[in-house]
Amino acid sequence: MKRFRAYFLIAPTAALLFLFVILPYVTVLVMSFRAPADGQPYGQGFSIGGYTQFFRESYYAISLPQTLALGMATTFFCLLLGYPIALHIATASRKWRGLLYGIVLSPLLVGIVVRSYGWTILLGNSGVINSTLRDLGIITRPLPLMYNNFGVILALTHVFLPFMVLPLLSSLQSMDPAIAQAARSLGAKRLTIFRRITFPVSMPGVQAGCILVFVLAISSYVTPSLVGGMRVKTTTLLVIDALIDQFQWPFGSAMALILAVSAGIVVLVFARLTRMKWN
Amino acid sequence: MTEVSLRALKKYYGKTAALKGISLDVNHGEFISLLGPSGCGKSTTLKCIAGFEEITQGGIFFDNQDISHKLPENRDIGMVFQSYALFPHMTVAQNLAFGLEMRRVSKSEIKERVMRAMDMVQLTPYADRYPKALSGGQQQRVALARALVIEPAILLLDEPLANLDAKLRDEMRGFIRDLQKRVGITTIYVTHDQDEAMTMSDRVVVMFDGEIAQAAAPEDVYNAPASERIARFVGNANILDLAISARPEGGGIETRLPGGTTLHVTASADWAGERLRIMARPEQIMLTAPEHGQLGGRIAKRYFSGGHVEYSIDTDCDEIAVVGPTTQNLKEGDTVGLCFDPARLWPMPDDRDGAAP
Repeated sequence: MKRFRAYFLIAPTAALLFLFVILPYVTVLVMSFRAPADGQPYGQGFSIGGYTQFFRESYYAISLPQTLALGMATTFFCLLLGYPIALHIATASRKWRGLLYGIVLSPLLVGIVVRSYGWTILLGNSGVINSTLRDLGIITRPLPLMYNNFGVILALTHVFLPFMVLPLLSSLQSMDPAIAQAARSLGAKRLTIFRRITFPVSMPGVQAGCILVFVLAISSYVTPSLVGGMRVKTTTLLVIDALIDQFQWPFGSAMALILAVSAGIVVLVFARLTRMKWN
Repeated sequence: MTEVSLRALKKYYGKTAALKGISLDVNHGEFISLLGPSGCGKSTTLKCIAGFEEITQGGIFFDNQDISHKLPENRDIGMVFQSYALFPHMTVAQNLAFGLEMRRVSKSEIKERVMRAMDMVQLTPYADRYPKALSGGQQQRVALARALVIEPAILLLDEPLANLDAKLRDEMRGFIRDLQKRVGITTIYVTHDQDEAMTMSDRVVVMFDGEIAQAAAPEDVYNAPASERIARFVGNANILDLAISARPEGGGIETRLPGGTTLHVTASADWAGERLRIMARPEQIMLTAPEHGQLGGRIAKRYFSGGHVEYSIDTDCDEIAVVGPTTQNLKEGDTVGLCFDPARLWPMPDDRDGAAP
């Protein structure tokens, strides 16, 4: 009876998940094996053409490693920038903690479209940075800050930084402060404590933050399309292009699944490599 | 073995004084307990000795060497925390090896010393377990071994048994005490539990409000407390406020109990004033037939607690708590006589609020 009641509690969530995640995935899977057709989204019959087309045409195939690399780079920079922030907030006094917390979360209050446009204003060829440098006579031709990997990674790092900081913070804050004191009493210096105690103990947070940022980064659409200006081709952009502009539903579905499976493999390998036997 | 000396130690947080001048000498191999209610400064004292708190004034000396301003990592201390503070990502053996690695001990020696330390706390079969897979008592033993394996100058324990259940706590008391005697390390133990302090220590240091109230052997703190507050904090105490009737030539003081009986208090004969406050521990009072007692009373409440019986007795001298053997067949409402042992009555200054110390 008790068991039944517990199931009852998760029933709404299960229904939502089934309707809006599992069912669409199944539909996408079925769609990816349909035959393409002219003048309509898909035709009759079974075909693996969508999959073979992706790997045969380098225009598409190359987008997969490019997307995964973009995601990894964004994850790396988020970790690099986010860890010191999280560490700082975790050790800040109660008075400051709330304010710092608010600052970290504030980007989430502004829509992603607005934030991405903000970056184009800063990074564009006649944007704030380039025009200032030109007015100062430091450069004559604008620096390529946008429409390339640099700009996209920069903007993605900014957009997803809170998703790295929050899990890190919860992991660091749940750490018993006596652990660091114990290490000190045993003769460890600050850097050693960080390297051998603080960082390894915060691994659950590092893992969660990295997976979160990676998954969000590779599937993001708005930022790469605005800041990359369709010159940085991620698989996600190509999927939308195939589905909406070219009206090729089977091909778009196949690409979406290839990206999902590839990302799943990357996440699994990462989780395996950072496995914590102690946790 | 190391001698620890605290000299006029003061610690302020802003303008609030946490320690108001602590002076204490701890001898070679001595087991000292800092005992007091929360906020009395016992933990702050320990943190100052460990170096986690900067002292405001005074000095801390290990073997006459001033270490007041050394960093904790350079003080050569072993510390055990209330939360155990084991490194969760390291096995038992790795936890023990950490301090030795910091001291750049050779690999083979680390292995040997870790083995010996695990043997000492009977955890050898658990060498490759992670802390999460150990019980509270086992975790505390790992913490103890981790602090001792580096052979520190002194051992500091901050309420190490507070998180354990009662039965395990009793076992660990004996375990820590035996281990400390075997290793012979100078030990400072912080606790708010008076039983713990008394059963384990060579000397108990009672602290109130950032000051040492009394530092003495457990028997002396219990039987001869320096103040009424100590008497009440350490164990249960009946305080009798009696008029002094005479000061006989042979020493001692004679007081008169309500009902007319004279009590001859032998201890501390030269007490000034007209009244005397006397402490009588519940188990030092005997219950007899009404006609044999020095003071008459009626049993108001009776609690059976296994090994003994606790009574609350209404008398003309307030309510008096008595602990008696279970063999006495007394019921609530019975009239009884109370018998005091004059040699064990302890006169004390009146330190209640508003009274002169």
